[in-house]
Amino acid sequence: MYYLVYDTLVTTTDDLKISPGLAESWEQPTPTTYIFKLRKNAAFSNGRPLTSEDVVGSLKRLVDPKLGSYAGRQIGDVKSVVALDDHTVKLELEQPNTAVLSVLSVSMTAIYPMEELENGTFDPTKEMLGSGPFMVAEHRQDESWTLVRNPHYWRQGYPIVDKLLVRIIQDDTARLAALRDGSVDVANFENPDSATLLKGIVNVEPIVQKTTNYFRLDVSALQDNSPFKDIRVRRAMALALDRQRIVNAVFGGESAVDYVVPQAFGKPVCRDHQDYVTPREERIALARELLQEAGAKDLKVGIVASSVLVTFPLIAQVMKASLADVGIEAEVQQIPVADWYQRVFSAKTDFDLALSWLAGYSDPTQILSNWNPEWVGWSAGFMKPNAEYNNTVNEVRQLSDGPERDRAIEKACQIIYDQANILPLISKPDYIGYRKDKINARFSAIEGNFNTLKYITEFSRLD
Amino acid sequence: MQIIQYVIGRFFVALATMFGVSIVIFAAVRMVPGGFEQVVLGPLATPESRAVIIAKFALDRSIIEQYGHWLVAAVHGDFGISMVTQTSVTQELIRRAPATIQLALMSLVMALSVGLPLGVISGLTNGRPWQRSLGRLLGALGASIPDFVLGSLFLFVFTVWSLGPTIGGYVPFFEDPWTNLRAMVLPAVTLAVFGIALILRTARDAVKSVMIEGYIAFAVACGERPSRIVRYHVLRNAAIPIITVTATYLGYLLGGAIIVEVLFSVPGVGLYTYNGLMNRDYAIVQASVLVAAAVFIAINMVADTIYTLLDPRISAQQRAS
Amino acid sequence: MRRRLTSAVCRFVSFARNDRLSGAAALVLVSLLLLSLVGPYLPLGDPEGIGAGPRLAPPSFEFPLGTDELGRSYLPRAIQGISATFLLATTAVMVTAIIGGITGMLAAYKGGIFDGIIVRIADIFFAFPIILTGLLVTAILGPGTLSVLAVIASATLPMFIRLVRSVTLAIAKRGFVTAAEVAGASTTRVLFVHLLPNIMGATIIQLTYAISIGMLIEGVLSFLGIGVQPPQASLGSLLRQGVLYLTVAPWMVFSSGFLLTLAILSINLLGDGLRDAIDPLRTRALQ
Repeated sequence: MYYLVYDTLVTTTDDLKISPGLAESWEQPTPTTYIFKLRKNAAFSNGRPLTSEDVVGSLKRLVDPKLGSYAGRQIGDVKSVVALDDHTVKLELEQPNTAVLSVLSVSMTAIYPMEELENGTFDPTKEMLGSGPFMVAEHRQDESWTLVRNPHYWRQGYPIVDKLLVRIIQDDTARLAALRDGSVDVANFENPDSATLLKGIVNVEPIVQKTTNYFRLDVSALQDNSPFKDIRVRRAMALALDRQRIVNAVFGGESAVDYVVPQAFGKPVCRDHQDYVTPREERIALARELLQEAGAKDLKVGIVASSVLVTFPLIAQVMKASLADVGIEAEVQQIPVADWYQRVFSAKTDFDLALSWLAGYSDPTQILSNWNPEWVGWSAGFMKPNAEYNNTVNEVRQLSDGPERDRAIEKACQIIYDQANILPLISKPDYIGYRKDKINARFSAIEGNFNTLKYITEFSRLD
Repeated sequence: MQIIQYVIGRFFVALATMFGVSIVIFAAVRMVPGGFEQVVLGPLATPESRAVIIAKFALDRSIIEQYGHWLVAAVHGDFGISMVTQTSVTQELIRRAPATIQLALMSLVMALSVGLPLGVISGLTNGRPWQRSLGRLLGALGASIPDFVLGSLFLFVFTVWSLGPTIGGYVPFFEDPWTNLRAMVLPAVTLAVFGIALILRTARDAVKSVMIEGYIAFAVACGERPSRIVRYHVLRNAAIPIITVTATYLGYLLGGAIIVEVLFSVPGVGLYTYNGLMNRDYAIVQASVLVAAAVFIAINMVADTIYTLLDPRISAQQRAS
Repeated sequence: MRRRLTSAVCRFVSFARNDRLSGAAALVLVSLLLLSLVGPYLPLGDPEGIGAGPRLAPPSFEFPLGTDELGRSYLPRAIQGISATFLLATTAVMVTAIIGGITGMLAAYKGGIFDGIIVRIADIFFAFPIILTGLLVTAILGPGTLSVLAVIASATLPMFIRLVRSVTLAIAKRGFVTAAEVAGASTTRVLFVHLLPNIMGATIIQLTYAISIGMLIEGVLSFLGIGVQPPQASLGSLLRQGVLYLTVAPWMVFSSGFLLTLAILSINLLGDGLRDAIDPLRTRALQ
């Protein structure tokens, strides 16, 4: 939704490289300075042209510690952000940050109309007003959004369609039915078998979109009654995991074992650890030794698998079987989403293991930050901050791409694997189906920023 | 006179029951992990809004005072704020009620228009043994098949073949009646099957038991026309059990359509409540249970009153027991 | 003992002969029960064995009911499902039948304020819509079998209290009860020796209906994902998974839906038959 109404300064290409968005070009005169040249014809959907002031205001708002935005922290300490003229913005950071452009491609860093925001005619918590391809015509809570084209959108001739109806259909089966009877033209799905389900429908083209997101396992390491407070038990559990089995049993092979730095990046780092390279029989033996050393016998643990995604309980069931191989008895707890949040992400946690997923975005620093509980907040209840790790990630942030940076990334990954506190499991693809008899559509092969329908402005109707 | 007395008495009984229901719900919501405070506040409340709510619901007072405040708010239709959407639960319930009511009415009309004539006919006629058995089997099947099984079958049939009705895609009736009906027919039929079986069976049994009464034989002996006998004697006397099950069925429709609404993505009260539960939005769950119980009690009260009007003996009997 | 058993069998055979449909229902029910009892010991495969076969495979010789989304053989899962559903429903209903029966009898026999209070409480619980109450109960107890048992109990308890109370009322003032009272029998004796045998029939009929309601409740809660937790199967949780794969693996919904409907249908038919046999003249119960 966000990407339909708002624009970001930059965006990403199909191979996760940065490409122009609202900024048609940019330069980096020093490692900490960025100068963005804005598009001269960009305007908000109310007709007011978008100027440097909107960008400056939006960025300031983003890094305002009072608003405490996560994306803002990803940018790092900002020395200054100023408008050089109506269409040029200079951003100066305190320290170099290789990931800054990647961060500026994420929807959370979208550019708001600052004039309207400041004079109170626009309240971002209640309405949407952006410079993106569409604007909201009508919204019905839990039912639908009606979007019409933004007549002032900068890209001439786009979007091709005049009107977009976004229907909120919770149930995968009902979405399937809607696609089938033609009441929707394109739908996304969560069920790993969606491609198979879609193949059965005439005129529907199933798409499996690779993403940089992956399923992860949260391990409770602070709670007194959690057996995983003991690092040896955590390590044993990590050794017992069988990622390939999850890929096969839950996804029928249509996913992949994933690492801290998502394999979708195509960067061969973070793969060399005993959890991945040691054959499973040896890992089981190692795990049993560790458990014995820790004095952990007849362990009974719970796996929180919220019912919000159909895949969570399925992954949990496979994990249960894998953990049984080292003598850990797991119980799958399929609970509503809010109970999951309460038990795992609140100050007083109450869980052993919990399934979740992580957004990979397009630069390794963005994902590595997740292992800093002070930074992200949500993991503070089950994970201790690690100074060595944080220093390493800081290094990664400041180094520019190259072997030196890769070495730092590798070091950070090894700490993550050795701590076994938040573990990457397998990648999480998106599933899309569209009516090829009704619309002309294309989709990016890999997506890092949840912009599942990135090319929607180019969609056109065939009938 | 007696009838008015009875109705008034019945009203107070209903009120007392409702009072009990409110105590149970109040206690239940307080037992939910996180407790009542979180229910009305949500975890993200600011200190200021927290203070306002604590004052409003007297959370710093005794439990009885708290109940009093809660009850007063509920009677005034204030069920708190939904945690997720930050909107008034009452307003959301009102906004979603039309879909649920429409579903209930469609199912009720289908159930009555199919179940009642079939039931009366099969009560008046005595078929062959195999016909009776088949009828009994089908009736029991209709009453036994769970709505989510039947709904799943419909889902399968109408997903695999395009036959007209749609799954999901609800729009308000007055906006686009045709699209609305296409989306509502499957959930309505799913709910109606149980009602048809229930009403058919009750009507058949009621008619049968009336038919063996002496006054029917008397009327026949007096040479009254069969159509008149059916209308004046049979239906009038068979009406009471039929009204009772119809009332129970309507209560079930208004309070229990959750599964069908979830299955067919009908944005009614049931789906709202289900999502409320999944989001730990207990303000919604609490309000829906209270409203559904109130509707159920009211429907039963009306039904009781109707059959007191039909048969004044009932009130005397009920007082005796 | 043996004579009693023989006479029970004889009575059942004559009942089944008079009412073939109920006889057949009883037979189906007994076989489903047997299946759920001995099923786990049959060499059908592991109901929780992930990857026993390919995922979502259609029925075949090796997997008579196909496989599910984790490549588990569906037949042993379905049997585990019936067994879980039966077990939960009957356990909960048996307990409520005993509690509700005793409370109902006492209320009717003692009368007065006690009776008034019990009737009001039963009315209050009766007014709660079952599924919504279920949602509230699982919110308190957390999803799982305990919640399922509690919801079934809270839904069926008022039914038993109401029924037993009204049946007891009808016989409590009859001669033989008064005679026993005059002879100085204690309340316990009157309740269990004189009243109980006379309300047994009605209670057993109600029991059958309550079990079918219990199975339905289990189905609904597990279908919504807040009942029996995976990997354990129940008919409701099997249906829940089945609906997700409706178009590619319809056998999942068909087989578990069929079994659940069959079980509820046979219980209801048996209940109807018993009612006709025990009390042929009584107008059919309306609850």
